[in-house]
Amino acid sequence: MNNINTLEIKDLTKAFGGRNVVDNVSFNVPEHCVFGFIGANGAGKTTTMKMILGLLKPENGEITVCGERVRFGATKTNRLIGYLSDVPEFYSYMRPKEYLNLCGEIVGLSNAVIKRRTSELLSLVGLANANKKIGGFSRGMKQRLGVAQALLGEPKLLICDEPTSALDPIGRREVLDILQAIKGKTTVIFSTHILSDVERICDRVAVINNGKITMEKAMSELKVPHRAKAMTVEFAGEVDSDEVMRVLAENNFAPSHYEIPATSIEELFLEVAK
Amino acid sequence: MFEEIMPFLPFIIPLVIIQLGLMLVSVVHVIRHDTFRVGNKVIWLLVCILGQMIGPILYFTIGKGDE
Amino acid sequence: MKQFIALTKKEFFESHATYRVYILLAVFAIFGLMGPMMALLMPVIFEMMAADMAAMGMTLEIPEPTAQDAWTQFFSTFAQMGTLALGIIFSGVMANDLNRGTLVNLLTMGLKRHTVILAKFFTATVLWTAAFLLAVGTAYMYTAFYFEMDTIAHVLLVFGAPWLFGVFMLALLIFGGTLFGNFYGALAVCFGVFFALIAVNILPAANRFNPASLAGGTLSIIMGAGEAADFIPAMFVCAGVIVLLIIVSILAFNHKKL
Repeated sequence: MNNINTLEIKDLTKAFGGRNVVDNVSFNVPEHCVFGFIGANGAGKTTTMKMILGLLKPENGEITVCGERVRFGATKTNRLIGYLSDVPEFYSYMRPKEYLNLCGEIVGLSNAVIKRRTSELLSLVGLANANKKIGGFSRGMKQRLGVAQALLGEPKLLICDEPTSALDPIGRREVLDILQAIKGKTTVIFSTHILSDVERICDRVAVINNGKITMEKAMSELKVPHRAKAMTVEFAGEVDSDEVMRVLAENNFAPSHYEIPATSIEELFLEVAK
Repeated sequence: MFEEIMPFLPFIIPLVIIQLGLMLVSVVHVIRHDTFRVGNKVIWLLVCILGQMIGPILYFTIGKGDE
Repeated sequence: MKQFIALTKKEFFESHATYRVYILLAVFAIFGLMGPMMALLMPVIFEMMAADMAAMGMTLEIPEPTAQDAWTQFFSTFAQMGTLALGIIFSGVMANDLNRGTLVNLLTMGLKRHTVILAKFFTATVLWTAAFLLAVGTAYMYTAFYFEMDTIAHVLLVFGAPWLFGVFMLALLIFGGTLFGNFYGALAVCFGVFFALIAVNILPAANRFNPASLAGGTLSIIMGAGEAADFIPAMFVCAGVIVLLIIVSILAFNHKKL
């Protein structure tokens, strides 16, 4: 079933000032896959994505979206793509509905479709009741509006460039939940440097380092082998640590070291900010 | 004095209305917003009040922040 | 065409939401008033000067102001303050959208790049035309009311010339904004070219073809000194350059990295 590739990249190279920022990159993204694109800042993630969108001109290589070749400047393939940048910018004087209406008209949807999609998407991203001007939005709200905008044209491919990196933990969780919710309906390529985000929603990952793909695997292949020297265990409720150690000892497990972590800062934050 | 001003009233009234209008709208906008692309609140208040017509133009085109 | 209409609607809405249209109309209404008012005020100012000079033993003849004085004031206000105000008010038309990154979203949704330039140029031209008509209309009404006014020969050319020059300024602002992506750049290109053309205007040979002569030059026709034919070449040059600027802006924008 997965032999149809929504995105195919072959031998892609882009240089800035004599340095190859993206160096001979090739990978495929199968249909309905959530593809994690991992790399440190400056590894070449954004450059690759901008080339998929035809915003930058590659020195070499070929990109096809749903079998159609991407050309620089020409936006023909972009009708198949939804794009969400790390910090999407909107017209601050517009309200979300007005903005999505503008986007719908640009995509060429009919008024009835725009109206239906707008209310569907705004409730999907939790902005159904946010009727104030976008200028007053928080980063997280803008990011969620960005998701709605990117999905408006019912794209075959959704490109998210670091959608969570500019957000606080709550905003991050909300965006990930939305991406989780659309999983299976559209193909998603999702760049990040936050590994736990990838773990939560991706089916397939590629790691890019200094412009080169250093690893590309299905998430299932990445599963840690069952034999390990160390492991972290978390319980749903509170447990008595002495009791746990006793049970371990009774079963001939002798830990050489253990620690009880303080409540993680993220948990604390989520607790406090509720 | 009034006699001398009389013939100019058809000019003065609209001029004053427009200028005051521009000034009021810009001053209210400056007071109610806290972000500016250039400068700060005090500077823009002075520019809008003292700058006659040019003040409000400069504020709305250059000074006004992005909400 | 659908995209053009959508973007044009957005541009008009933006002009309303950012107060641009109101500032523009207010300012040009003032410019319209100022011409005839300055002409009417002339005797008052002269009287004050005459009193000073009489004290020094000189007499000054106070001329009665005429419609021609009103138009002189109108055209000189337009050529200086008008172009300056137009430049500043429209400096962000292309630049702000690029600068804030707001266009990226729309372009990735399949908005054609040339549509952006055309819609912005179209909207700016419509707004400018409205402001210009308001200014000329106001000046015309007041002048007709306060002064004896002869019919103006070649009305279309006399007023069409400064209007066309305004459109030329808008094209320059869009070109500069596209090139530099900020309003400083747009203003620098616009006024750089403006002052360069004024400098060139010193050469009498270039005068006939110089768009800068359109800014206030057609006043000479009202004054009875100029010929309509004197301005025709400059009109054609100006219109040609506008088309060229828009085409070059589109080409530059097509190759711009965002």
